[in-house]
Amino acid sequence: MEEVVCSKEDLNPGEMMESTFGRHSIVVCRASDGHYYAFLNRCIHQGAPLSKGKICGAPEPTDTLGEYNFDREGDILRCPWHGREFDIRNEGRMLANEKFKIKNFNVMEKNEQVIVYK
Amino acid sequence: MSTKQQKKLHLIDTDIHEKVTYEDLMPYLEQPYKRYIEDCHWIQEKHMPFTQPAVAGVNRADAEVPDGRPAGSDLPFMQYQLLDDIGHEVGILTGALDPSPSSMHGWYEMATALARAYNDWQIEHWLEKDERLYGSVHIAAQEPHEAVKEIERVGSHEKMVQILLPIDDIMWGDPYYHPIFEAAEKHDLMIGMHHNEPPVYYGKWPRYFIEWHTLIPTAHMMIVTNMVFNGVFEKFPKLKMMMIEGGFTYVPFLMRKMDQQYRDLRHEVPWIQRMPSDIIREHICFTTQPLEEMSKKEFLQTFEQMGSDDMVSFSTDYPHWDYDNPYEALPNGLDEELMRKLLSENARNFYPKLPNRKEED
Ligand code: FES
Repeated sequence: MEEVVCSKEDLNPGEMMESTFGRHSIVVCRASDGHYYAFLNRCIHQGAPLSKGKICGAPEPTDTLGEYNFDREGDILRCPWHGREFDIRNEGRMLANEKFKIKNFNVMEKNEQVIVYK
Repeated sequence: MSTKQQKKLHLIDTDIHEKVTYEDLMPYLEQPYKRYIEDCHWIQEKHMPFTQPAVAGVNRADAEVPDGRPAGSDLPFMQYQLLDDIGHEVGILTGALDPSPSSMHGWYEMATALARAYNDWQIEHWLEKDERLYGSVHIAAQEPHEAVKEIERVGSHEKMVQILLPIDDIMWGDPYYHPIFEAAEKHDLMIGMHHNEPPVYYGKWPRYFIEWHTLIPTAHMMIVTNMVFNGVFEKFPKLKMMMIEGGFTYVPFLMRKMDQQYRDLRHEVPWIQRMPSDIIREHICFTTQPLEEMSKKEFLQTFEQMGSDDMVSFSTDYPHWDYDNPYEALPNGLDEELMRKLLSENARNFYPKLPNRKEED
């Protein structure tokens, strides 16, 4: 199964939009690398619609107390409710614990279109 | 958020925040207070030093009103996103965080005027506009005699179910509060403690928000312990207290600890004539949010250790960032009877002014 979920020009890097894939509501994100990533639009914690959250960066883990290195702008999807951070370019894994991830879909870019497929 | 397949819940939600602005309060404020805000741009001192925790500050990012007004400020949007969507039977408003008359540290005349205005605004714009919504009386307890006057003025409103007290610097078991408790009893109002400002951390803020937010239950533990041992519930036997937004998983520890202390140290508080855990079971109820993630087994063990499943009631804390979704926040597979207690019947039994259960659709 494959489906066009948006056109490439719909999103700039660091932006996201809601779309559908079959009967699923999905969120399509364009990361800082210019590529497109798609996830189920439902947070694994309590089900918030992720497309209402924010694409942002995150302070990198550090060994120095009190140090903030804010990085990866455009690559992190934060949930609109409790703010959990998911790594767009790493299969939607949660920054606080990589064992957990939001559901991701396969994406290809063809001509001017973004296609999600199974 | 419910999905299409999910059945509507008959929920009594014990913590919903309606949001007021200074502008909203203007028609209800008297002079000279109105003038101080309009002409002198007075705003209440702010305490919290943190940049806000989540994506949209203290609110759910999707709860902002579509026209850009702040989350919780518009009844139709709250109806759409929360009350109609989940199927609320009742929502209890726990309101004012800014301005928050009860946490002012000076100028108590202003605090008293704000509380009056707030109550009038709440009644007119919320309680009288949606039959599901019930309210909390806001008072400036810094002036107990004025607080009692305010309770006398609005406490008999049929939809006012509790009084929210400030939690700042005088412990609630202190006889200072007795006139307030007496007025509460008279009007069948319960006492609500919503976390708001410290007393965690010596009355100050810790270095990080995450510390403060982790330790909110400690503020609740202080008040529960203080109310029980100071004999408030012995003097005011009809009084009950709802502990809002501190969760409930600390309660088994506290009950055991207080009972053990009582066995050793009863001589100091001879007016207490039964086990503290019995007093808690009879007089105190705890709201669920913010729930930790627990397995069904862990969840049920907590109730077993409390010796009761009658004293916990579900709350969403809508529209705040740490909202609990009633469809997702509880462990799966709880039996129907327990769900019914948590989602509605415990709160109904707690608040004498709530309506009887309507028949299921
Ligand atoms: S629902 Fe997404 S972090 Fe809680």
